[in-house]
Amino acid sequence: MIWFEDVEIGTKRDLGTYTFTEDEIIAFAKKYDPQIFHIDPDAAKKTMFGGLIASGWHTAAVWMKLAIADRDRARREGKTLGRSGVSPGFEDLRWIKPVRPGMTLRYTSETIEKIELKSRKDIGLVKSRNEAYDEASGELVFSFIGKGFVQRRPAT
Amino acid sequence: MSNKLLHFEDFAVGRKFVGGPYRVTKDEIFEFAREFDPQPHHLDEEAAKQSMLGGLSASGWQVSAIAMRLFADAVILKTANLGGPGCDDGRWMKPVRPGDVLMFETEVLSVKAPASRPEFGFVKFVWRLFNQRGQVAEFVVTTMPARRGA
Repeated sequence: MIWFEDVEIGTKRDLGTYTFTEDEIIAFAKKYDPQIFHIDPDAAKKTMFGGLIASGWHTAAVWMKLAIADRDRARREGKTLGRSGVSPGFEDLRWIKPVRPGMTLRYTSETIEKIELKSRKDIGLVKSRNEAYDEASGELVFSFIGKGFVQRRPAT
Repeated sequence: MSNKLLHFEDFAVGRKFVGGPYRVTKDEIFEFAREFDPQPHHLDEEAAKQSMLGGLSASGWQVSAIAMRLFADAVILKTANLGGPGCDDGRWMKPVRPGDVLMFETEVLSVKAPASRPEFGFVKFVWRLFNQRGQVAEFVVTTMPARRGA
């Protein structure tokens, strides 16, 4: 079991890749972000983006999807985190380049800070720098600082 | 409702816009979580009781997406806007549960019109998403570029 005390700053995980499809981009945006350049491929051509692009919140949600898959993978390798998965939020979330249908993004997550909490002795806060790159060009397209609570090693 | 789109000059510091109500269903929580955030506290009612959140709750990213929808309806779809560069801050302050009815309020925090880019300016907003108990469930600071008027 990996506790807050065991989490190492500087650890970087490759979370794998995800390819965005036009259908998924439109379905997500119709529900949560119905701007013309997210839902209408033809009308999107006449916008500043020159074509359909994914909602930034879709790009962020896919980070979560891959982060959970990575955690499950780590668990199968015997590296189970103490009770975790709850987050108080994020910082510096940046949509840097448009994400278009057919684009494949590679997501990464690096542990950058551990914060002990005065108010809670049972959990600590871990900060991570999360990024997504266009697999074809290598360009950074998305980044944010994530925060997650991780259980502290129980006193024995 | 006027057909005239809002422009940069329409966003005075302190101006507020409201949205909602948005009723959160268990099915919607499950649907989002299965696709993007398959953790027990978003998918399994019994397991969720044992989690840090003490019961079933929506993924924070879904809460952000709901706030985005309410911001789009209240502001973006009525504005000559240019797509967003991001959010300085986002805080998930209270769990969002099945049956919660959310109300949205946004306020202009600051405006910036770069001399180098005469065609648009940046409007910084704070979003507050309230639950039916009047608690702030989510707080976000985000920037929206808007075209300048005539």
